[in-house]
Parts: sequence; structure tokens; C-alpha cells
Amino acid sequence: MEFLGKSTQRRLRSTPFYLVLSFATVVTLVPIVWVFASALKSNKEIRENPLALPAEWRFQNYIDAWFGASFDEYFFNSIFITVASVAIVLFLSSLAAYAFAKMRFPGNQMIFFVFLVGMAFPLSAKLGPLLSLMYELNLANSRFGLILVYVAGSLPFAILMLRAFFQGFPQELEDSAALDGCSRFQFYWRILLPLSKPSLMALGIFVFMGTWNEFFQALLLINEDSKRTLPLGLTAFQDEYFTDFALSFAGINITAVPVIIVYIMFQRNLIEGITVGSLK
Amino acid sequence: MAQTLSAAGKPRAGPRFRLDLMPYLFILPAVLIYVVFNLGPVLASFFFSFFKWDLLAPTTEFAGLDHYTFILNDNRFLNALGHNFIFLGLAVVIPVSMGLFLAVFIYEIRRGRVVFRAALFLPAIFSGVVIAYVWKWIYHSFAGVLNAVLEAIGLGAFTQLWLGDHNLALYSTFVAYTWASFGYSMVIFLAGLQDISTDIFDAARVDGANFWQKIFYITIPCLYDVFTFVITLRIFTAMGIFGVVYILTGGGPFYSSDVIDIYVFRMIGNFEMGWATAAASVNAVIVVILTTGFIKFREWRSWSS
Repeated sequence: MEFLGKSTQRRLRSTPFYLVLSFATVVTLVPIVWVFASALKSNKEIRENPLALPAEWRFQNYIDAWFGASFDEYFFNSIFITVASVAIVLFLSSLAAYAFAKMRFPGNQMIFFVFLVGMAFPLSAKLGPLLSLMYELNLANSRFGLILVYVAGSLPFAILMLRAFFQGFPQELEDSAALDGCSRFQFYWRILLPLSKPSLMALGIFVFMGTWNEFFQALLLINEDSKRTLPLGLTAFQDEYFTDFALSFAGINITAVPVIIVYIMFQRNLIEGITVGSLK
Repeated sequence: MAQTLSAAGKPRAGPRFRLDLMPYLFILPAVLIYVVFNLGPVLASFFFSFFKWDLLAPTTEFAGLDHYTFILNDNRFLNALGHNFIFLGLAVVIPVSMGLFLAVFIYEIRRGRVVFRAALFLPAIFSGVVIAYVWKWIYHSFAGVLNAVLEAIGLGAFTQLWLGDHNLALYSTFVAYTWASFGYSMVIFLAGLQDISTDIFDAARVDGANFWQKIFYITIPCLYDVFTFVITLRIFTAMGIFGVVYILTGGGPFYSSDVIDIYVFRMIGNFEMGWATAAASVNAVIVVILTTGFIKFREWRSWSS
């Protein structure tokens, strides 16, 4: 192979990798492409030839699906619950993580450990009493109640991640701020948070995805149609329309598209949120 | 570590016993919400699994080990638990090795890394609900793409009722789970690979190591801690699988794809909270033993070697 140039050699060497990766990508994406294509077909086309591309693009399916269930309400609920949960998680976890990372107080290590314990159990370990509690507090079947549950679920990971990040901040920064008469809350609000934007962004997108997609707890705690989130609403929609093939496909896409858009916009932040937490 | 830093760098004012309350104010809101809506219910679940329940409310009437005796003698519980273990066995091998190899391949190429990573990770961003409905259609008996493709390439004899066959249903749900989880392992492995010093790979190439030698003698040993994390994550998701299976099969047909969390959910729905909390507690103990045991074993092995 000596007669070949260096870059040609490298290209030859990486060809098999490109082939395997391209094959894997096609196999991975085919289901998604197929669901999108099917949503534009008529029921008859889907039944008679599931593999064919749509003869004509029937966007009407989306309109029918949208009005076939209260997708507008599901959307509103998902956006409201997710945005509120993310905002609260970012605020409370950064406050606590700052204290855990930078302040000295009796119980610091122990209370932090208590947060870690919460990450050791599977979701089902709390569901029974959680349901009783939510009924007791009149928070069952409530968007506000669901927000509290989601925040509580996300806090341990968020605090773990931000604490590690804040520990990397030089102490001199805080010392000089203190000399200038900056209180600890001011330091947190005016200096620490702005400097942590990339981390908060990564964490925020990660929590956003998890909350937006959550199903198990929503299924348990919400049983009124007007309070359903999108994943929950999709199951209600599918229960009613699964036999109406085209509408069923369109309903899946209505739920999937917002996540795809957020992913395209914030792909790097999301993957950073996943890997930063894992490589500690 | 936190205790080496003095608060805000100020010289400590006043006598030693004056407690600085500020840190507690910073952590209080987080602690309150976390304890009431997360840790509290977990502990209550363990605790009240030893008491009788009145519909949704625990009573003070002690039940001893009754709930545990019941579920451990309930074939449906053992059946569901067995399925979680099958899931676990498959999950720590298949999505993990897929993720590893795809990460290595992406690492080996120069152009298009970001595109391949983004595309291969895509299924992992969806809710279990979306994943399940996508696969419910793929598996559909006559309108599904899987049977249609088999017909089209002349393998019509292999078409199946993927979700309706009690020998297949569990494995069909596992395929959907794999589709949505190998991407997780992949991005974590890839980040781990990018942390390995390139000098090692250069040295290996100079020494004439081939692709497989590099994988087995450099990549895998260097990713030791990453493996521990990735597999721990799989233990978690396999023992806590719910949404995908719940929607694809509901645990059926005839409980052939039932898993613990569906069992627990069904028990809660039947207001059998004693059995639900006992089953959830057994599962939680198994998960804690598996994960901490695995992590300790890995630490011990890396320390002793």
C-alpha cells in the first residue's frame, strides 16, 4: 500500500467503519421514517401496502388526529409541567449544591449522602405511599402535584452533578467577592450562576427530556383527561384510534416531533448532560 | 472536599459554637421537597409493607411477613421477576456491546462523527410511550413493516405474531428496549474513549496492533469505570422496565411478558397495597444488592489487579 498517499490509506482504513455505521444508522432510523411516511398515507394504502411511500401526502391525518383528542390540552400540560419542573430543579439544586460544595456546616456530608440514597431505588419503590400521600394532600390529579413529584425525582442527580461542578470553582473567586462585600446569596446569584451557564444548560436539557417523557408516575397520579401530559394523552388517543391506522401514526408523530426539535437544537447539551454525570 | 473550605473565606467570627444557619437555608427547600415526595414514600413503602392497608391508607394493624409470604408464593410475582432477570441478562450484553462497538467505530472515523452520533442516539430521546407505539406498528400482524419486509424478501414463512405469541412477546419488547437504549451506552462509551490519551493508541499502532487487539488490550481495559457505570445503568433500567412493556403487551399474552413494575402497578390498581408495597420492596432490595454488589465487585477487582 506504500504507493498510495497517506490520506488515501487512511480513507481506505476507515471505509469499513463508515459502512457499518451507515448500515446501523439506516436500521435505526427506518422505524422513524416509516412511521412518518405512514402518517401521510390513507388507511387503505397502509393496509394494502405497508412498505409503499404515500401516493399523495395526506396532511389531513394530522388535523384529524389533533382534533380526535385533546392534543392542545396535552401539549399545554406537558409544556407547563416540564418548564416549571426544570426551572424549580435548576434553582433548588444549584442552591443546595452550592452549600454542599462550598460551605462548611455540621451534617454537610451526611445530608448529601441522604440525597444519593434516593438514586439507589427503582421508581416503583415509592409509588404506593406516594399515591396515598398525593390523595391525602389533595395533590392527586393535579398538575402542581405532578410538578412536585418530578422535582423531587430529579433533585438528587441535579445536586450530584452541580456539586461536582461547583467544587471546581476556585476559592479565590468567592474570597474576593466576599472582600467586596458580596453576600453568599449575591455571590451565588450574580457570579456562580452566570459562570455555570453551560452546566445548567446541560442539566436543564437532561431534566427537560426526562420530565417531558415521563409516563409511569403520570399514569398513576393523573386520571382526568384535561390534566394529561402528552405521553399519557397519546395512550388515551391510541386506545381510541389504534384501529384507525393513519390517525394512530399521526398521533405518534405529534408526540414525537417536539422532542425531535428540542434534540436537534440542543443535542450537544443533552449528550453533555448524560456524559458529565457518568464520567465522574 | 467541602470541609477544607471555610465558609465564604471569611475568618471565622465569634465563638466556635455559634452555628451558621445560612447553609441550611440554602439546602432546606431541596431537602423538604425531596424528603416529602421521594425519600419519604420509599421509606414508607418499606415500613408499611409490614402493615395492613385499608384501600389507599396504611393502618396500624401489624401484618408481619404476611404480604411477603403471599407474593413469594405467588407464581405471577415469581414469573414477573424471572422476566426481569431475563431482561437483565440480555440488557447487560446486547445494548452494551452494540454501544461499545458503535462508539469505537465513531471514534475511528474522522468526518461525520457528530452526525452518526446524533442519528444513532435519536431513538433514545423518546418517551417509552412513543417507542412502544412505534414498535407496536412495526410488529403489527399485517400492516407492520417487519412482516411486510419478511414477505417482500421471500421469508414469508418467518412472519410472526410478534406480540401475540407467548414465546416471543417478551423478546419482542426487549428489541424495542434495545432500540431505545444502545444509544445511551454509545454516547457514554464515546465520551470515555475521548478521555483516553491518544498516545496509547498511537503506541499500539506503532507496535503493529490490529483493530481487535486494540479493542481487547487497550479500549476495554481503559474503559473499566465506564463499563461499570454503563452496566449499572442497564441493571437499573432492566429491573425497572415499565412503559414499553406496559403499552406493547400489558404483560401478556397470559402474563408471558409480565414484569415486576407492571405487577406492582396492577396490585395498586386493585387496591392491594400490602402486596404492591411488598413486591416493590423486594424488587428494590434486589436492585440495591445488584447495583452496589456489582460496583463493589468492580472496585475490588480493579484494586486487586
